Amino acid sequence: MIWCLLAPSLAIFLAYRVLPLAWNVVLSFEDWSPLHPARWIGWDNYDEMLFDDDVFWQALWNTLLFMASAPIAIAMALGLALLVNADIRGRDVYRTIVFLSYPLMTVAVAIIWRWMFDERVGLINYVARSLGLVDRPIEFLNSFDWALPSVIVANIWQTLGFYMIVLLTGLQSIPPELREAAAIDGAGAVRRFWAITMPLLRPAVFLCFVIGMLNSFTSFDLVYVMTGGGPGRATELLVTYIYKLGFAQTRFDYAAAVTVFFFALLISVTAVANRLSGDDAGAMRAD
Amino acid sequence: MKRRTVLKGTLVGAAAVAMPFVARAQASTKLSFLTWNIADQEALFKDEFADFQRTHKGVEIEWLDKKGPDLPAFYQTQLVAGTAPDVVDLQGAIWVEYAANGALLDLTPYLAKEPDVARLYNPDYLASWRYEGKTYMLPFYIAKTLLYYNKTMFKEAGLAGPPTSFDELIEFSGRMVKGEKSGFLTLNFDWLYWPLFKMNGVDLLTPDLKKPAFNTPTAVAVLDRLAKATQSGAINKIAWTGRWVEPNGAFAGGTVGMLHAHSSSYFFVKGQGPWINRDTLGVAQAPGYWATPTNHGFAISKTSKHPDLAWEFIKLLTGNRWATEFARRRKLLTGTIQADKDGLELIRKEDPLGGEVLQTQLEHTDKFTGNWPLPYDAALKDAFYPEIQNAVLGRKTAQTALADAERAVERVMRRRA
Repeated sequence: MIWCLLAPSLAIFLAYRVLPLAWNVVLSFEDWSPLHPARWIGWDNYDEMLFDDDVFWQALWNTLLFMASAPIAIAMALGLALLVNADIRGRDVYRTIVFLSYPLMTVAVAIIWRWMFDERVGLINYVARSLGLVDRPIEFLNSFDWALPSVIVANIWQTLGFYMIVLLTGLQSIPPELREAAAIDGAGAVRRFWAITMPLLRPAVFLCFVIGMLNSFTSFDLVYVMTGGGPGRATELLVTYIYKLGFAQTRFDYAAAVTVFFFALLISVTAVANRLSGDDAGAMRAD
Repeated sequence: MKRRTVLKGTLVGAAAVAMPFVARAQASTKLSFLTWNIADQEALFKDEFADFQRTHKGVEIEWLDKKGPDLPAFYQTQLVAGTAPDVVDLQGAIWVEYAANGALLDLTPYLAKEPDVARLYNPDYLASWRYEGKTYMLPFYIAKTLLYYNKTMFKEAGLAGPPTSFDELIEFSGRMVKGEKSGFLTLNFDWLYWPLFKMNGVDLLTPDLKKPAFNTPTAVAVLDRLAKATQSGAINKIAWTGRWVEPNGAFAGGTVGMLHAHSSSYFFVKGQGPWINRDTLGVAQAPGYWATPTNHGFAISKTSKHPDLAWEFIKLLTGNRWATEFARRRKLLTGTIQADKDGLELIRKEDPLGGEVLQTQLEHTDKFTGNWPLPYDAALKDAFYPEIQNAVLGRKTAQTALADAERAVERVMRRRA
């Protein structure tokens, strides 16, 4: 009976996830494009990717840097969660304001930030120049040094609210008696945070971490709209590179090889994160 | 009942039974037509379809328009599914890959059979759709790069007219730098910046298109000058980083002396720049008269079940009558000689400056560059341009950037050729 109930979902999962993934793996060993029939070429695509493609390595490095921004966002979200969890006036309003960025369409977020960073009419340059912080406008998205950090800032801004809500839920599930008992025993605020709050918040933090990793890997729309991967390759991520290979260069076979690598990387990172969280990432203890 | 009456009745009955089948058979002839980001011309297309259907009874036309980045992906999926549209509108060099892989119908026999049709079109534009001696497309609408210049800024800098050489272009750009003002911008997609190299005698590839030819002392010097001009502010950095809206928008802002762009930019710039009129905006050919075309053409998919009908259809769309109407409505040129002559006259009356811009598109059409018929053009661009950015934005020296670009281009050619 249970299998009958599961069948529709499993069929969809099989048709839209498992089969395309399997086909993608097969494709990565072929020379194929929509314009000519497939030909088996063994490891050629992987050989090209690992030993003959500088762009792949640049995109991988950028992806790892982008990924490394997740802990920064989580740390900021934790600070905000602690703040809006405290007994302060208007905290519900603050929670709503911080969360507002998350449901926005990523393309809209990218366009907003593109204008924010614009050197001619952007708000950030306007404020910086008005305050006398800079003489000339900073070309955030047109600079090799600033482009990736700028995109990361936009990404953090969008995901901050989500992390905050997850962490807030985690904070609210911690029984207040524990902190009260510790306070009676003489533990200060810092001690209480590290000895009680953080250990009990660990599942929520790791849930954020895993989602942050996955989000970093798949931030295609944000990067594509803000910079298109440029200038040069300064903001090229694996996911934008895969798109370009497939849809601009009609190299679906090679794109498939990069995708398989990307998939393996994602699985590895998720497995490591899960292991670090004690094999129960995201689990919320009821007791 | 007489035998004749019975016979008549039988024939009428048979005809009555057969009629729906005949009608259905005629109605089942369907032409699918895919255009690229030109949904605003729905009214024109409907008129054209009606005209075609008047002479081709029972033919149904299924029209679909796709936005810029969606069309190639859509067309490719249709090719895989075996349901490619009969007629497709393609832009830039993407057609070469399709032609080289056998997705497009060779139109050469049709043009040979109907030489009068071939004579309708500007031969230079028509030649830009030739691959390995075969012609694959007919012109839908055409554009090539030119030089727009801000006459007010030129006057302020004491400049009498547009530059006639690369040296002057760089020098003039430098003379217009003042505060927020810069001297020059270029569009950079689809090799639109290549005339800057070509006017200095630099070629991307050897004449047989087999090897890179750009890593020369002259090219290094050109790139170095572009980089230095960019660092000094003479060339606006948006020239190398912006896509379409940003460079055009910057020029429309009135703080950039020159814009190297295609004719399509004119209407955007004019719409954004209230300062623009015949006294303030000048148009000229780029030094050396070199220009990169960015044309749209009609191709017929090789899988079309009705290639002859599709040929008749694109002949109608690109023929004098409808091409003139298209030129008038969309204020552009079509590559159809008489239509462009008539269309240009009409445009000149409504918008003399627009007429001047479009006039440049019909001159020096023997000096196209940046339109190499290579099936892996997209990969080549993607390998080459980031290194140009590295040089002009000061991350690498011109020499290193060109050496790296050469390696990247060689890799593409080795893997794809």
